[in-house]
Amino acid sequence: MWFQETSKRKQIGVFDNMLNETVENELQQNIDMIRTITGNSTDIVIREFLLGQEQEIPAGIFFVGGMTDEEMIQKLLVQSATQLTIPSSYSREDVLAYICKKIATAGKVKRIKKWHELFLALMSGEAILLIDGVAEALSMEARGGEYRAIEEPSTQLSIRGSREGFTESLATNIAMVRRRIQNPYLWLESIKIGEVTHTNVSIMYIKGIASDEVVEEVRNRLQRICMDGILESGYIEQLIEDKTFTTFPTIYHTERPDSVAANLLEGRIAIFMEGTPFVLIVPALFIQFFQAVEDYYARFDIATALRFLRVLVFFISLIAPSAYIAMTTFHQEMIPTQLVIAVAAQRESVPFPAFVEAMMMEVTFEILREAGVRLPRAVGQAVSIVGALVIGQAAVEAGFVSSAMVIVVSITAIASFATPSFAIAISARLIRFLLMILAALFGFYGILIGIILMTLHLCSLRSFGVPYMAPMAPFISTNVGDTFVRFPMWALKERPHLINQTNVVRQGSNQRPKPTNELEKEGDNH
Amino acid sequence: MLIHVILLSGCWSKKELTELAFVIGVGVDKKGGKYMITLQVVNPGNVAGATQKGGGSSGLPVTLYTSTGNTLVEASRKVSEKISRLTYYAHTNLIVIGEELAREGIKEVFDAIERNPQFRTTASVIIARQCTAKELLSVLTPIDKIPTNQMIKTLELTEKVWGENLNVHAGEVIEILSLGGKEVVMSSFRIAGNKMIGEQQNNLQSIEPYTFLHAGELAVFQKGKLISWMSGEQARGVLWLLNKIHQTAVTIDWQRTKEAISYKVVRSKTKVTAKINNGKPIISVMISMEGDIGEVLVPMDLTDPNNISLLEKKLQQEIQKEVQNTILYAQSKKSDIFGFGEVVHRLYPNEWKQLKKNWNDQYFSRLQVKVNVHAFIRRTGLRNKPYF
Amino acid sequence: MERVQLNARQLLVLAILFEHGSAMVIPLGIDARQDVWIAILCSMIFGAGLFFIYYRLFTYYPSLPLTSYSQQIVGTFFGKTIALLYILYFLYIAARVLRDFGELLLTFAYPETPLFILNAVMMMTVMYAAHKGIEVLARTGELFFFSLCLTGIVGLALVIIAGLIDVHRLQPILEEGWKRVFKVVFTQTLYVPFGEMIVFAMLFPYIDQPKKTKIVGWLAMFLSGINLASMMAINIAVLGSETVSRSTFPLLNTIREIRVANFLERLDVLFMIALVIGGFFKISIFFYAGVIGTADLFRVKEHQRLVYPLGISVLLLSIAIASNFSEHIKEGLNIVTLYMHIPLQVGIPLLLLLFAIIRHRSSFLFRKQEKK
Repeated sequence: MWFQETSKRKQIGVFDNMLNETVENELQQNIDMIRTITGNSTDIVIREFLLGQEQEIPAGIFFVGGMTDEEMIQKLLVQSATQLTIPSSYSREDVLAYICKKIATAGKVKRIKKWHELFLALMSGEAILLIDGVAEALSMEARGGEYRAIEEPSTQLSIRGSREGFTESLATNIAMVRRRIQNPYLWLESIKIGEVTHTNVSIMYIKGIASDEVVEEVRNRLQRICMDGILESGYIEQLIEDKTFTTFPTIYHTERPDSVAANLLEGRIAIFMEGTPFVLIVPALFIQFFQAVEDYYARFDIATALRFLRVLVFFISLIAPSAYIAMTTFHQEMIPTQLVIAVAAQRESVPFPAFVEAMMMEVTFEILREAGVRLPRAVGQAVSIVGALVIGQAAVEAGFVSSAMVIVVSITAIASFATPSFAIAISARLIRFLLMILAALFGFYGILIGIILMTLHLCSLRSFGVPYMAPMAPFISTNVGDTFVRFPMWALKERPHLINQTNVVRQGSNQRPKPTNELEKEGDNH
Repeated sequence: MLIHVILLSGCWSKKELTELAFVIGVGVDKKGGKYMITLQVVNPGNVAGATQKGGGSSGLPVTLYTSTGNTLVEASRKVSEKISRLTYYAHTNLIVIGEELAREGIKEVFDAIERNPQFRTTASVIIARQCTAKELLSVLTPIDKIPTNQMIKTLELTEKVWGENLNVHAGEVIEILSLGGKEVVMSSFRIAGNKMIGEQQNNLQSIEPYTFLHAGELAVFQKGKLISWMSGEQARGVLWLLNKIHQTAVTIDWQRTKEAISYKVVRSKTKVTAKINNGKPIISVMISMEGDIGEVLVPMDLTDPNNISLLEKKLQQEIQKEVQNTILYAQSKKSDIFGFGEVVHRLYPNEWKQLKKNWNDQYFSRLQVKVNVHAFIRRTGLRNKPYF
Repeated sequence: MERVQLNARQLLVLAILFEHGSAMVIPLGIDARQDVWIAILCSMIFGAGLFFIYYRLFTYYPSLPLTSYSQQIVGTFFGKTIALLYILYFLYIAARVLRDFGELLLTFAYPETPLFILNAVMMMTVMYAAHKGIEVLARTGELFFFSLCLTGIVGLALVIIAGLIDVHRLQPILEEGWKRVFKVVFTQTLYVPFGEMIVFAMLFPYIDQPKKTKIVGWLAMFLSGINLASMMAINIAVLGSETVSRSTFPLLNTIREIRVANFLERLDVLFMIALVIGGFFKISIFFYAGVIGTADLFRVKEHQRLVYPLGISVLLLSIAIASNFSEHIKEGLNIVTLYMHIPLQVGIPLLLLLFAIIRHRSSFLFRKQEKK
C-alpha cells in the first residue's frame, strides 16, 4: 500500500536502470529480459504456451518454483490454454483486460507495467502472465509452497491453553489471530521492508482500542527502516526500539497466537513478519515479561502465587551469586554461625578467592548452556552429562570449587530457566555479572547500589512513550491487579491505562459469579 | 583478568573465609595486672558435618589461643603472633569471665565488646567458677563438638526447663551496668572432673567423659563486682523474680510425707510493682503460673477438686517461701539483682532522685517486699490416681 | 526547569522517603531519652506549621521554585542572594548527609575502606539520578517505597516475634518534664528531618495538582512523624534509653538483637537496605534541588550540564567538612542548626511570606483603586 516506488537508497544490481523501464511488447524479448536479470536461475519456471481458443496468442507464464501453488498454476494453464475462448475481434490489449476478468482460478489479479513491479510480484511468489504484443503483464496470486506445519510453540509452552504456535508463513499467522478475534475492527496494514529482501511486514491492531498515536508511531518507525534486508523480527525490534543501550527488552515477542490476541485486546499493536514465527508486540512493559498466558487460564490464586514465584526467581537469578560473594567475603557476620562454619570448611581447600570461584563457575555454566543450545540434540545430552559430572562432582571433589558454590550456581541457573521470558532472563544474566563485580568490590553496599542504578535505569525507560515500569511506577491503582498479583478476572475491569487512554473499560460491571438465586434477586431488582 | 587483578588488589574491607579465624568463644582473665584473653577458634575442617572428603573429624574442632595485654584490644591484636588468620569476632557467641576478674570488677571488660562492630551484644556471658576462663574454655565436649556451643545450648536448655540458671546477653549486662537501680546476676560454669584430661581428645573416648562442663551457681554482683553465689532454690527464686521462668518443677509435701508431689510449671508470669509510702518504697511481686502434676508419691485422689485446690494453696506457700528466701539473701548481700530500684525509678521518677544515691545500702536492704503467688494446676497427666 | 510533572502520590512517596532518609538510622533526638517519641511527635506538629509557610509562599507563586519567587518578592539583588544562599544550603546539606551516610557505612561494615570511595560510589548513583531528572527519581521512589515498607514490616514483625519489646523501658514518661522534650524539639528534631521539607519548595512547581500539595505534605509529615516516633520508641523498648543514647545506630543494634527460631538472626542486611535507600533519596533530593536551583538562578537551560561539576563539588565537600565523626556530629548539632537550619528553614521563609503578603495586599488594594 505504502510501498515506495523510488528506493530510498541505491540498489544493488547492475540492471537497476532497466528495471525502471516498462515491459516490452514482444514476448520473446520479455523472456530474454527475465532470463538475463535472474541470471538464468533454474528455479524460475518459464512456460510458453498458446492462449485461448479461436484466437491463439503466444503467451508465457512465469513463476518461482517452490514458492507457488503448483496445482493452481496447472489449473490456470489448463483454463487459459484450453477453456478460454477469445473472440477474434479482440485486439491484444483487449485480450489482456478480458483475461483479467475471465480467469477465475487466481485469487488476486493485477496488471503490471514496470519491470521492477513485475519482479517484485514474481519474487514474492506470484505467477506472471505475459502476452505477446502487449506491453503489460498480469500478476496472479498463486502463493503457496511448503511451509512448516502449525506446531506447538517451542519457546512458550503451556500446560493449559492452545497448542498452536506461529509458523514462518505470514498469512497463516495472521489467520490464526483473526480466528481468535473475529471482528472487522481488527485492522491489518502491510509494508515491505528491506531493499534487497522485500520482506512482507504487517502491523495489526484493533481500531478503537489501540491508541492512534502509537499506531502512527509504529508506522513511522517501520517506514524509517532502510536496510538491505531483515531476516527475523529481531532485526525490526532492534531498529524500532526506544533505547538501544539497555539490557532490558522494550519490545515483547511471542510465538503464541493467543498471547497476541490478548495483547491486541489490551490495546497493543502486533508486528508480523514473513519468515519468522516470532511476532513483536508494542508497547511492552517490564511486568509483561513475567506474565505467561497460563496466568489468565489458571485461577487467580494460583496465577498470583506463580507471579510472585517468578519475580522471586528473577531476583534470585539476578543476585544469588553476588549475594554469595558479598556474604562470604564481606559480611560473614550475617550468616548464621553453623552455616558459616560449614561454608568455611568447604572453602578450606578451594585455592581461589570467592569472586574468582563464582566467576569461574558462572562462566562455565554459560559456556555449557551455549553449547547445549547450539548442538544437535544427541550431542547436547553428552554436554549436559559432561557438565554435570565435571562441574557438579569432579570440581568439588578436586577441591577447585566449594559445593556451596555449586548449589548457588545451580539455583541461579534453574531460576533463570524459570523466568517465563527468555528476553528478560538474558538481561538478568548480563546484569548478574555486573552485580558480581560490584559485590566483589563493596559487598552488599555494591549490590544495593547496583540495584538502585538498575531501578533508576528501568524507570527512565519508555516503550513507545509508555513508562516501562508502569503500572507500578507510575503507580496506577486500577491496573496493579495484573502485575505481581493477578486479581480475579472480574476484578480486571480496565485495560492498561497508559497504553490506551480513551477506551479502557473491558468488561461489564457485575461480572463476579454468584449463586443463581442471588442473580435472580438482582434480576428482580432491575 | 584485568578486572580480577583490580578486584583482588584493591579490595579494602574484603576478607576471604579462608583468611579468617572464627572466634567462637572469648575468655577474659586477669593475670598480674594484665588482661589475659583466651580465644576459642573453630577449625572449620574438623567440625562434623562439614567434612567433604570423608576424612572424618580426626582433628580437634577448636583450638585455643591466649595472649596478654594492658587492654583487651591490645591483647586481642597480640594473638596474631600465634595465629595465621585474622581473628573474627562476629560469631563470638560466648564470653567467659574468670572468677578472679569478676571479683575485681567486670565494668571495663564490656567497652571493647560494645564498641567493636564485629561483636554481637547477643553473645552470652558466663563466669568461670573455681577456675580461670582459659581452663573452662579448654575442656572438650561430646555431642556438641564445639565446647562453646555446648555451654550455650546447655545454658539455654536448663534455663528453659529447670530454671536455676540464667542466660544473660552481653547487651543486657551492659544495660544493667549503666542503670542505677539494678545489679548484674549471671550464670557460672564449672569444670567437673580432671582439668588436664579435659583438654585432650581422650576425654571423648570414654562413654562417660572424664571431665565435663557443668552449669553452676548464679553469680551475684554489686557495682560490677562479684560478691556472692546463689544456687538451688535460691537461684530459682531469682528467675521467678526476673520473670525468666519458663518451665520448672516444684516439689511439695503432702500430709506427712515430705517432698511427695511434683508440680511441673508450664507457664509463669511475674509482675513487679512499686508503691511509695511515707517516702519509703514498697515492692509487691505477683507471680502467677500454670502447670500439671508430674509425679505423685503418695496415694491420693486427683479427681477431687478439693485436693487440687489444697495442692494449689500448698504450692503457693512453697513458692512464696522460696522467693522470700531469695529476696532476704539478696538483701543481706545488699545487691538489687531483681531491679526493684528500676521499678521504683519508672513509676516514681521524682522520688527516685533521692533514693538513687543510697539505694542498695539504705533502702534495698530494708525494703518491704510483698510476694503473692497464684499457682494453677490445670491437668494431672495421663492418670488421675497413682497405682499404689 | 525540566518540563515534567509529578502527581500527588509521587510527591507523597518522595516526601516520606526524604523524611525517613537518614533520620531512621541515627539516634534522632535522643537527648530526650525515653521521651524522644514525644519529642518527635511534637516536632511533627510544629514542622507542619513550618510546612504551611512554605505552602503559602507556593500558593502566591504556583509556577515558580523558591529561587525564582524570592527574586520576585524582595527584588532581584536580595532575591538572588537568598536564592544563592539556599542553593549553597541544599548542596551543603547534601554533602553533610553524604558524609553521615559514608561514616555510618564505614563504622558498621567497611572499616578498612576509604571514606572517599564509599561516598564516591553513592554520589555517582545520585548524579545518575539527578541526570535522569525528578520524574525518574519519583518513579524509582515509588518502587523502593514498597520494598522499604516491606522491609519495615518484616523487621517489625521479627522484633515482636522475638519478644524483644519491653514497654517498661519507655517508663518513666516525661521524667524531666516537658522542658527537656521542648529543648530537643527546638534544637534538633524540628529542623531535622521536618524543617528540611523546605527543599520541596523547589519541587512544588512540578506538581500537577497544586491543590493537593498541602494535604500531601502534611500527610507525609504525619506518616513519617508517627513512623519515626514509633521506630525510636521500639529502639528504646528493645535496648533501653541508656544504650540507645550511647549507640551510633540504634536501629542496627535493635536489628542485631533479633533472633527467631535460631535461624532468623544476624539480619544486618535489613539495616543496610534501610540505610542505603534512605540515604540515596535524601541526598538525591537535596542535590537535585541544588542543581535545578543553580540552573534556575544562572539561567542554564539543561540542568544535566550542572550535574557533574556540582556532584563532584558535593563529593569533595563531604570529605572536607570535618576531620572526624565527632567533629562532624558536633557541627551538625550546633553550628548547622544555629546558623543554617533556623535562619533558612524558619527565618527567611517567614520574612518572605510577610513580604509576599504585603506585596499582594498592596497590589490587591492598588488594583481595587484602579477599578474605582
